Amino acid sequence: MTCTGSSPGAAERLLQITAYLDGELDLTAAVELERHVEECAGCKRALEAQRALGEAIRANAGELRFRPSPEEARRLRRALGGGAAPPVWWLSPPSQQLRSLAALLLVAVGAWSVGRRWPGVPASSESSATSAAQAPAAAPGAPAVPITEEILASHLRALLAGHPEDVASSDRHTVKPWFAGRIDYSPPVVDLAAQGFPLRGGRLDYVAGRPVAVLVYQAGNHLASVYVWPADAAAVGAAAGGAASATGAAGAPAAASSRRGFQLLRWTQADMTWWAVSDVAPEHLAELVRKLRQALPASPAPPPPQSPPRP
Amino acid sequence: MRDEDRGRRRFEAEVLPHLDAAYNLARWLARDAGAAEDVVQTACLRALRFFDGFQGGSARAWLLAIVRNTFYSGLRQQRAQEPEAVFDEEVHSVESPGGDPEADLLRHADSTQLRQAIAALPAVFREVIVLREIEGLPYKEIAAVAGIPIGTVMSRLARARQHLQDDLIARGVGGRRP
Repeated sequence: MTCTGSSPGAAERLLQITAYLDGELDLTAAVELERHVEECAGCKRALEAQRALGEAIRANAGELRFRPSPEEARRLRRALGGGAAPPVWWLSPPSQQLRSLAALLLVAVGAWSVGRRWPGVPASSESSATSAAQAPAAAPGAPAVPITEEILASHLRALLAGHPEDVASSDRHTVKPWFAGRIDYSPPVVDLAAQGFPLRGGRLDYVAGRPVAVLVYQAGNHLASVYVWPADAAAVGAAAGGAASATGAAGAPAAASSRRGFQLLRWTQADMTWWAVSDVAPEHLAELVRKLRQALPASPAPPPPQSPPRP
Repeated sequence: MRDEDRGRRRFEAEVLPHLDAAYNLARWLARDAGAAEDVVQTACLRALRFFDGFQGGSARAWLLAIVRNTFYSGLRQQRAQEPEAVFDEEVHSVESPGGDPEADLLRHADSTQLRQAIAALPAVFREVIVLREIEGLPYKEIAAVAGIPIGTVMSRLARARQHLQDDLIARGVGGRRP
């Protein structure tokens, strides 16, 4: 049996194929369609063609997505922040942004930092991460900005500026040396193209009171920013000895957080603090992080990933 | 005044993270950087003004619907409607014209070919493709953005993909000319 253009069910089948590929067809109809395409060469071909088109678009999604140029972003910022209205915080220049954020989150900070400890990370390492080892990000006298907000703001700023990477390359031998001389540490850089998350490049950003390396990965239609900087002693200690001991492949799950539809994941590995942020679906970001953790050395003198945690 | 500040902050927290999606949709609809910027700017100011009326649900769909309405109302004012009426509402045959399987050719379409083919779609098809394939919206949200029933989302997507396939094959994707 073959559907043709003139057969009455053909148009209906095409709609079903569309919904099927988009995961919008109910289970009964999906099973029925799968059975049908087994016997109908025309519908099978239509299904394969639509699927191939979808794959081609998704493979090129990064280039098909329009992003505002820096000039456009600046003009939008001015339009939205201008007049009597107060400035839009995440479109503002960093210094102003941090101050207004600090004020905005005065109340939230206390409630959040008491109530929302990262699972698997001792309280001491989290507080020292934002206060002691790294200089406080906010102006003197202002309360410290939660690092999740800083990272989310930084990620959004890079996206909006249409400038997610300063060095655009999928070659880690290009990206890694680019950071040399710009920051006082050498971030591990790995490409995850084989695992489905191509490296797009890197950029410098300013987080937790210091310049930090940011790696940019393509995650389907979306971008993910991965922030990396040297962990302070408390976090490394916690990672080595505590619940978050396994910094290697089989490590403790990264601490997850969700802010305004964006997912953030944090973990410590190779004596570095890592943050991943994206608006991709939570399971996709978790997958990216899992692949990244597998690809990264467990510590600077890399033992095999399955080695037992240090005492 | 305090209420106003609170509203503004809620707007910034819920709506502005979707500004990137707004820009992308505006740019695909307007097909021009300057026009897209105007659309996004007008839409955001409208969104801010009408944010009190936002009843919750998907802030992304809400903002994108405003972007879309802003674009179309701008078009109507200019009476510069593109020749959108000339498209075929019938769903074509599911049979491909023969020769090599289309799938093998389509899979190798590059970003330039895809961009040209999507840009050449009539706006009603272009918008559903952008919302579905680039923004990854579910049918329900596309229906909310475009103000059409879910069944219409499905039929427009089917038609849009058919247009794209025909166009890409005609452009000689996969290094071949028909």
